[in-house]
Amino acid sequence: MLDARPTVGAVSLRSLAEWIYRFILFPIGQMFVFVVGAAVVLTLFAYGLALLFPEPRPNIVLVDQVNRQLPGMIISGITTGFVYAMIALGYTLVYGVLKFINFAHSEIFMVGSVVGFEVMRRLDDAGNLPFWNPVLLIMLIILVAMLFSGLLAVAIERIAYRPLRGAPRLVPLISAIGISFFLIDFVRAFQAITRNDFNLTYPTNDLEWLRTPVKLAIGEGTVNVRPTQFVVVLGAVVTLIALNYFVNGTKLGRGIRAVSQDMTTAGLMGINVNRMVSLTFFVGGSFGGAAGALFGMNVGTVTPFVGFIPGIKAFTAAVLGGIGNVTGALLGGLALGMIEAFLNGLLVYFPALGQRYTDVFAFSVLILILIFRPSGLLGERVDEKV
Amino acid sequence: MTIILDVRDLTKKFGGLTAVNNVTIGIEERSISAIIGPNGAGKTTLFNLLTGIYKPDSGTMLFNGRSLIGLRPDQVNAAGMARTFQSIRLFPGMTVLENVMVGMHSRLNISLPATLLRTPGFQIQEKKVKQKASDLLRFVGLAGKGDEVSRNLPYGDQRRIEIARALASDPKLILLDEPTAGMNPQESAAAMGLFRRVRDELGITVVLIEHDMKVVMGISEHITVLDYGQKIAEGTPADIRANPRVIEAYLGRRAAGTTEQEVSAEVEL
Amino acid sequence: MATKSVSQSPWMNVRTTMRQPVVAGALLVAYILAALLILSNLDRGSLWFPLYSTLAFPALVLSPFIILASPVRTPLKVILVALLLFVAIPYLGMRDSSYLELIIQICIFAGLALGLNIVVGFAGLLDLGYIAFFAVGAYTWAMFTSQANTVFNINGWLVSGAAFYGFIFLGVVVAAVVGILLGLPVLRLRGDYLAIVTLGFGEMIRVIANNLDKPINFTNGSQGLFDVGRPPVPPLLYNSVVGAEAMLGFPIANATPLSQQLLFYFIAIGIIALIIIVARRLDNSPIGRAWTAIREDEVAAIAMGVPLVRMKLMAFAMGASFAGAIGVLYGAKQTFVSPESFSLIQSISILAMVIVGGIGGIRGALFGAVIVTLLNLLVLKNLSLQINALRNVDFIVPIINFHIRDWPTQLEPAKYERLIFGLLLIVMMIFRPAGLLPEPRRKMELLEAKGEEPVTVTAENPVVTAQPDAGKA
Repeated sequence: MLDARPTVGAVSLRSLAEWIYRFILFPIGQMFVFVVGAAVVLTLFAYGLALLFPEPRPNIVLVDQVNRQLPGMIISGITTGFVYAMIALGYTLVYGVLKFINFAHSEIFMVGSVVGFEVMRRLDDAGNLPFWNPVLLIMLIILVAMLFSGLLAVAIERIAYRPLRGAPRLVPLISAIGISFFLIDFVRAFQAITRNDFNLTYPTNDLEWLRTPVKLAIGEGTVNVRPTQFVVVLGAVVTLIALNYFVNGTKLGRGIRAVSQDMTTAGLMGINVNRMVSLTFFVGGSFGGAAGALFGMNVGTVTPFVGFIPGIKAFTAAVLGGIGNVTGALLGGLALGMIEAFLNGLLVYFPALGQRYTDVFAFSVLILILIFRPSGLLGERVDEKV
Repeated sequence: MTIILDVRDLTKKFGGLTAVNNVTIGIEERSISAIIGPNGAGKTTLFNLLTGIYKPDSGTMLFNGRSLIGLRPDQVNAAGMARTFQSIRLFPGMTVLENVMVGMHSRLNISLPATLLRTPGFQIQEKKVKQKASDLLRFVGLAGKGDEVSRNLPYGDQRRIEIARALASDPKLILLDEPTAGMNPQESAAAMGLFRRVRDELGITVVLIEHDMKVVMGISEHITVLDYGQKIAEGTPADIRANPRVIEAYLGRRAAGTTEQEVSAEVEL
Repeated sequence: MATKSVSQSPWMNVRTTMRQPVVAGALLVAYILAALLILSNLDRGSLWFPLYSTLAFPALVLSPFIILASPVRTPLKVILVALLLFVAIPYLGMRDSSYLELIIQICIFAGLALGLNIVVGFAGLLDLGYIAFFAVGAYTWAMFTSQANTVFNINGWLVSGAAFYGFIFLGVVVAAVVGILLGLPVLRLRGDYLAIVTLGFGEMIRVIANNLDKPINFTNGSQGLFDVGRPPVPPLLYNSVVGAEAMLGFPIANATPLSQQLLFYFIAIGIIALIIIVARRLDNSPIGRAWTAIREDEVAAIAMGVPLVRMKLMAFAMGASFAGAIGVLYGAKQTFVSPESFSLIQSISILAMVIVGGIGGIRGALFGAVIVTLLNLLVLKNLSLQINALRNVDFIVPIINFHIRDWPTQLEPAKYERLIFGLLLIVMMIFRPAGLLPEPRRKMELLEAKGEEPVTVTAENPVVTAQPDAGKA
C-alpha cells in the first residue's frame, strides 16, 4: 500500500498489454513455435529418408514424392496434432490432479463426436442447416459437445472414481476401463434404437462451404485444404487459449493447480478439493468433447468405437509431452500428429510395411518414450516419497 | 575395529536442491551409530542412496570392501545391508510370517523347476525358511502373531515386523529409519533393548536415524549430524552434546550460546 | 451359553444338520443329480427352454465350488468332483453336445483366467493385452497345420494332428519367450503405464497377425487360418463312446464328432488341472511370496532383496505360458484362427473374470471364469433366444402388460457384452474390490514348530547355503 505505484491509467494499460501477452500472444506464439518446429524436424527427416532410400520401389523416386506431398502431410499433421493435443489435455489435467489415467477419456471424446453429430443431424433434419452462419454453427456444435462431454466426465468421476479415491492405483484404473466399455455399448444401444444404425455420418455434404476445398498456392503447385481442417485448427487454437486463461489466469484455475500440487494441503487451506476435482473433469471432459466434435466433422463418419485409437494416441501424446504437464500435452499432440501424417504419407513407398502399420508405429513410439524418457519431453511432475 | 561402511564425498542433487552434500561417514563393524539432524537434513536421502533407491551424483560408498555404486536395492540387500522405512512399509495384506519370509528372498535358491516339482531340496528350504521366520518373530517379541495379517497389528508391532523382516536377510548391517517414531517412552525403551540385542546377539552393525534424543544418546556409540545435506559434526554422544554447531542447527543461532545441559534438555522435547 | 437359544431356532437346527458330512454329502449328490436330470431332459422345442437351461446349467457347472465349500471330508470331495467331471458331464455331453462345447469354452477361459491371475492377481501387474499370448499359442498350432495358402503349407512344413501334444508344450515355450521379450523393456514401468503399454502390445500382435500375409504369407491375414489340424481321437475313446451310447440307447450317428469333443474336453480338464497345480505350487513358494510382496509394495519388496524385474518377468512369462498352451487347444478346437478372436474385449473379459472371482486366488479365478463365461455365452445368448421365442408367440408380460414383441430388436442382450463387463468391473471395484471369493492368507506359523530341531538365528547360521551375492545376475 505504501509502495509507489504508477498512475491508474498506466496500470490498466500496462496490465492489459501484459494480459494480452500472457493469455493470447504467448500461447499463440507457443503453438506456432511447436507447429513450425515439428514440421521442420519432420521435413528434415523425410528428406533424410529420401537420401537413404532414393528409390524404395522401382520407378519411384522418394525425393519427388516428398516434394509433392510435403505441404499436404504438414497440414494433415497439424490437424490431427491439434485433435490429439486436445484429447491429451484431458488425460493430463486429470493425471495432474488425481495421478491416475482416466481410461474412459477416449469414450468421453467419442461421446463428444456423437453429440456433435446429433446436433448437426437434427439441424439438418429440421431443414435449416444451410441457413446457419458457419461460425455460429461450428460454435454451437462445439459448445454443445463440450457441455455434454464435460458433464459426463463429472458424472463419471462422481460415480466411478470418487468412491475409490485412496484405493490402490489399479482399482480406479479398472473402474475406468469398466466405464469405457459401458459407454461404448450404451451409445451403441442408444443409436441402434433411435437411429437403427450406429455408423453416424455427419451431414457435412449438405453444406456448400464445408465441402468445397480451399486451394492454397504453395510454390508452383496448389494444395487442397478441406475447410474442416481449418475448423479443427481454429477451433483447437481458440479453446486452447481459453484453457490457458482458465488454468493460469483465474481463481478457479489456481485452485486446480493447488489441488494438483498437494491435495491434502489444498484441502487444509480451505480449497474445496472435490469441487476442484469435478471442475478438472469438467474442463478435461469438455476438451475431449470439443475434440470429438471437431474430429467428427473432419473425418465425416463416427461410431461408438471411434474413441479407442485416438484415445490411446492422445495418451501417447500426453506421455510424450510429459504427463501432468499442460504445455507438454500440446507439444506431444502436435509431434505425434506430425509423425503420423509423415508415416501415412511415406510408409506406402516401402514394400513389406505399408500404411497398415501406422497404428503399430504410434504404439512403438509410446513404448520407446516410456522406456527411455518416461517423464516425457517437457518433464512430468510425479514424485514418490520413500 | 574395522570399518564396514565407508562413505566418501557422497552427493545427491534434486534439481537445484542438494539433498546430500559431500558427506563422508565411516561406520565401524558391530557398532551402533546414529545419524541425526533437523527435518530435511538429508538423512533419509542418505539411506536411500546407500540402499540403491536413489543413484548418487558423485562420491563413493564401500560396504564390506565392495562398492555399492550402481547396485540395485535388491543387490544391496543381497550384499548384506538391510533397512526399515520411516513410514512403515510392510506388505499389508500378507501375514506377519510371510512378511518375514519375503525378507529372506536374497538368501534363497529360487528355482522355477524345483518350485514346480517340489524337490526335497525345495521342501527343506521352505521348512527352514518358516522355522527361521518364526525364530525371528520370537526374537523381536512377536511369537504367536505370525499368522495375523500384518495390517491388523498395532503400530509398535508393525515396527517390530519391519525389523524382523530386515533381519531375515542375515544382514551385516541394518539401517533403521526412525524406528521409534510415534512410540511412547516405554515402547522406546523396549525398542532400544531390541536394537542392542540385534548388535550383541546377532552381531549386526546398527545404523539408525532418530529424532528421539533419549534413544540417540542412550544407545549410540557414534553420532553423525547432518544439516542441509552436509555433515556438520560427528563423534561420541558427549562430543555431540557439546558441539555448538549442532546446537545451532537444532535450535537456531541464538541458542548456540546456552549451556549444553539446557540444550540437551530442550532437544529431548 | 448364549448360543443355546440360537441353536434352538429351527433354521439353526437345519444348518447344524446340514453341516453333518453325511447329510451334506447326500444333499450334494441329490443336487448334482437333480441338475443333471433336469438339464438332460429339457425339451429344446419348448417355449421356455432358454430360460430353463439358463437356470439349470449354471447350477451344474457351479457344483464343484459348492462341493469344495461343503463340510464333507476331502476324499469324498475328490470323489464327487471326479464323478462330476468324468461321468456326469460326459453323460450330459452325450445327451446334448452343446453343453459340452460350453464347458470346453469355460475350461479355455478358466485356463486364461488362471494365467492372468498369476500376472494381475499374484504379481499385481495389470496386463491389458493378455490375449496376445493366447493368440501366440493359437497361431503356433494353426500356422503349422492350416490348409490355408501359407508359406508353411506351400513349402510342405505342415505337421500332422498327432503333433498336437508336442505343440502344447511348444505353445508354452513360444508364449513364454514372447512374454519375456515383450516384458523385458516394459516391466520397469509404473503400474498404470504398464497397463497402457500392454494394451498397445495386445493390439500390435493383432495388427501384425492381420498383416503378416505379405510379403510372405505367415498368418493368411484377416482371412484367418482355416482347416486347422486336430489331434486324432484315440480308438479307445471312440469305442467307449459308441459302447456307452449303445448301453444308454442313444443314436450312434454322432459318435465321431462327439468323441472329438470329448477328447478336447478331457485335454482341457487335463491342462486346467496341470495349471492349477502349477499355480498353487507357485503361490505357495518363495516365488509366490515375492510376487505378492511386489504387488503390495514394490519399493519395500526390492529393498528386501526381491529382484523386481526378474520376478516380474517370471510372472509375465508364467502367465503367458498358460495362455500359450490354452491357445494351442483353442486353435485345434475351433479349427479356425483369425485376428478377430483376439481383440481387446477378450483381454478385458478375462480381466473381469479374475476380478469378479477374487484377485490373487486360484479358486476365485476359476469361479470368475465360470461366472463370466456363463454370463457371456449362456445367459446373454439365451436371453436373446428367449426374447425372440416370446416375440414369436406374442407373449405379454403379466402385471406390467408389456408386449415382448415391442422389445426393440436392436437390444439383443447377446450383443451387449461390453455393457455387462463394464458394469461388472465398476460394481466390483466399488463394492467388492476383493472379489466374490477372496482368498484368505495362508496360516503357517502354527503348522510347524514341532519335530524340527530349532535353528537359532545367528549371523553364522544362514538359512540356506546361498552366496551373499545371489541377486547379482
